[in-house]
Amino acid sequence: MFMPRRPLIEVRELHRYFGPTKAVVDMSFEVYAGEVFGYIGPNGAGKTTSMRIISTLDEPTYGDALVDGFSVVDDPDRVRRRLGFMPDYFGTYQNMNVVEYLDFFARAYGLRSYERKRAIEYAMDFTLLNQLADKPINGLSKGMKQRLALGRTMIHDPAVLILDEPAAGLDPRARIELREMIGRLAADGKSVLISSHILTELAEMCHRVGIIEQGQLLAVGTVDEISNQTETRSEVRLRVLDEPDGVLNYLRARDDVSDIAFRNGQVVLTHSGGPAEQAALLRQIVDTGFQVVEFASKTKSLEDVFMHVTEGRVQ
Amino acid sequence: MTTVPPTTLSEAAAVGEHVGSRPSKWARRWNWIEGRLAALVERANPILVKETRQALKSRQFTITFMVVLLLCWIVSFVGIAWVGPQIYYAAAGPGMLAAYYTILILPLTLVVPFTAFRSLAAEQEENTFDLLSITTLSSRQIVTGKLTSALVQMVVYLSAVSPCIAFTFLLRGVDAIMVGMLLAVAVLGSVGLSMMALLVGAVARVRNTQVVISVALVLMLAGAGWGLWGAGIIIISEGSAVYRQSEFWLVAVVILSIYITTFGLLHSAAAAQIAFVSENRSTPLRRWMMAQQACLCGWMAGLTYAVMESSGMWPSNFMAEIVIVTATLGSAYWFLMGAMMTGEWPHLSRRVQRSLPTNDAWRPFVSLLNPGPGAGYLFAVANLTMLLLVGLAALFFADLVPGGRGSRSAESAVYYAIFAWSYVVAFLGFGRLIINALRQWIYVPMTAAFLIHVILLLTAIGVPTVVQMTSRELRNSGYTLWQMTNPVWTLAELASRGVDNVQGDILVFILPTAAIVALLLNMRSVATELLLQKTPVPVRIIEDEAEIEAAVPHRPSSPWDVDEEPA
Repeated sequence: MFMPRRPLIEVRELHRYFGPTKAVVDMSFEVYAGEVFGYIGPNGAGKTTSMRIISTLDEPTYGDALVDGFSVVDDPDRVRRRLGFMPDYFGTYQNMNVVEYLDFFARAYGLRSYERKRAIEYAMDFTLLNQLADKPINGLSKGMKQRLALGRTMIHDPAVLILDEPAAGLDPRARIELREMIGRLAADGKSVLISSHILTELAEMCHRVGIIEQGQLLAVGTVDEISNQTETRSEVRLRVLDEPDGVLNYLRARDDVSDIAFRNGQVVLTHSGGPAEQAALLRQIVDTGFQVVEFASKTKSLEDVFMHVTEGRVQ
Repeated sequence: MTTVPPTTLSEAAAVGEHVGSRPSKWARRWNWIEGRLAALVERANPILVKETRQALKSRQFTITFMVVLLLCWIVSFVGIAWVGPQIYYAAAGPGMLAAYYTILILPLTLVVPFTAFRSLAAEQEENTFDLLSITTLSSRQIVTGKLTSALVQMVVYLSAVSPCIAFTFLLRGVDAIMVGMLLAVAVLGSVGLSMMALLVGAVARVRNTQVVISVALVLMLAGAGWGLWGAGIIIISEGSAVYRQSEFWLVAVVILSIYITTFGLLHSAAAAQIAFVSENRSTPLRRWMMAQQACLCGWMAGLTYAVMESSGMWPSNFMAEIVIVTATLGSAYWFLMGAMMTGEWPHLSRRVQRSLPTNDAWRPFVSLLNPGPGAGYLFAVANLTMLLLVGLAALFFADLVPGGRGSRSAESAVYYAIFAWSYVVAFLGFGRLIINALRQWIYVPMTAAFLIHVILLLTAIGVPTVVQMTSRELRNSGYTLWQMTNPVWTLAELASRGVDNVQGDILVFILPTAAIVALLLNMRSVATELLLQKTPVPVRIIEDEAEIEAAVPHRPSSPWDVDEEPA
């Protein structure tokens, strides 16, 4: 179980308007040390805009965001020392190799002498770029560039990492590597705010997620929490040794059960209660005398939750 | 673990490579020099290190360098062949120096500044500017880094031409001061143009406009390059006689003061363009404006002193001209600067509010340097007022008031100063009121605010001119009171024909009254800005400062500042 320690990112009533367009509307959430927070939403939902504000690249119209207690509007210089941002594009410099690229950003973050060398070595080790130190960055593959971008993002050992679509365009192997790297970063106590379209991946690596649509944060929490908040009904599958008619009649008489069907030797039903109510239902079925050999509640995937929260309005 | 190779021999020795025989004396000296150089690079601006690395690998730099070198060789061979046997007795140095200077001025005024522009513009195009701006580098460091990398390129091009320039000494007719002046013109010109190009690069944030801006910049650089080439040729052709004249050095000092203050202003403006919005971007600019004003006062005082020295008296007409020139330059300058400053956003960021002065007596004065349209308006008015008061005081102490009525008299100068002040205060004031009114409904950026001031001025000039030109009665009547809103005609008429021709006795009431009305109408919002209280520093900042201070190792500042060792 993930135990929150202190919020490293605090977003407070964040608003960002571009003329009449409301890109971000009243967004508030917190991300704690050692937590990976997934940011989910369709294109144009306001993910990148809010990430850019937290990364001190844009200013909010109203509201604020704090990184390690510092306002991104009032103290961007202090925020920048604690934050690494990986945008959804790779900024390339001409005539530069991998180690020179990392060396430049290490210098730009004020790392000097051996401290800088150690940081470059660690970043190259972490991102598995050791063999590519002298390779021109223009000659790197997409996956290598993403790893280099991650190395650049973590070169000054920031407490907060903001990764905008880091897995976009990567092959499966590179995605797995990236997921492992992000997991290790969180294990080191860093806060990671990550956005992605690949929901299965986010579900695997994120402790909590925030679902955003049309600039508004619709839900925040673990997948289960959001699922429980937004949808109390769940599909239950039941198998009994007796003839199904008896149990079907029993269930049809109950108010908390609907959509009852018998398929492939299983009774499939929709139950309107939470886990405690489901346990009570099972106990009552058994007490009635039915011989239950299987009782399973279907776990909702992040995709189910997302589609439900956004009511299927994915663009 | 990956091993990053040692960058210096001394580092290599430190990590155990080069273990073997004791290094020779020369090797030790080289190690020492290399160590110092490495320490220097360690402290160098990261942008400078990056850009130098990139430039040395770039095809454009290699080609330009080779072309410069090749042209120098060709000029040397062709020049010597052209001079022929005269080389033994004629002064062939100036001609050859002019040719080498022509070769040098091309990369220095075209290639280097345009490369500086491209280096900043490319950060936008290649999406690296965001990555750069979230590092701990300040906007000033970014601009300075780009500029110093341009300077490094200049030094490399100079090193290609320097043997040829040294060669011209052997050909007679060239002295060290001439070469020094020539190189100073080329380098300072190139640095100034690079600074201007960087400002353009910082302003040109929209990709679509960069092509147009690039073409305009190249044309501007070509024009400036032509001017610098002409200045160099004049220095060569005038020879050493010109350096013996004190006026030459006086003009050089004036040009240098314009150069330094304008350079500072452009640097601060470029840094302000790329700085984060909550930063205080205005105060450094206002300090440079004050420096330029101080220079203007200095030039006028110097000019007056020089004339006094030569004539032994205060010539009345000349003093009046000094005041008129000062008022003209000062008014134009503060109108332009004021038009930009009054377009600033009226809300101070909390970051700036934290740095507001606490002393109640000083706050109204120091607050003039703070960002904000009201503070900017009053800053422009205060500076212009000070400038004109200094000019009028000079007239007063010269015992020239009251002077004779007529052209260029002291009286004209006094009227001129009052009218110029009134026009600037009124136009900026009414313009600011319009901007304030518009900002109640729509977003008015600084560019739009500046344009509002320009449109207001053009309307005030254009409308009465059109009315008078289209009126049968007024068309041939010369200056009339219809033109009172037209500062150009009014001031030109006053300076050339005197007070009576512009009905100065009437205007001296109308124009200052309009200015004071504009000033008073603005005072409420100005006072709101100037009386803003300093906000307390957040606890988290104080904690962070304490953490940073605790992390810095304590160093003894004196022999008594060392902890006593235990007995």
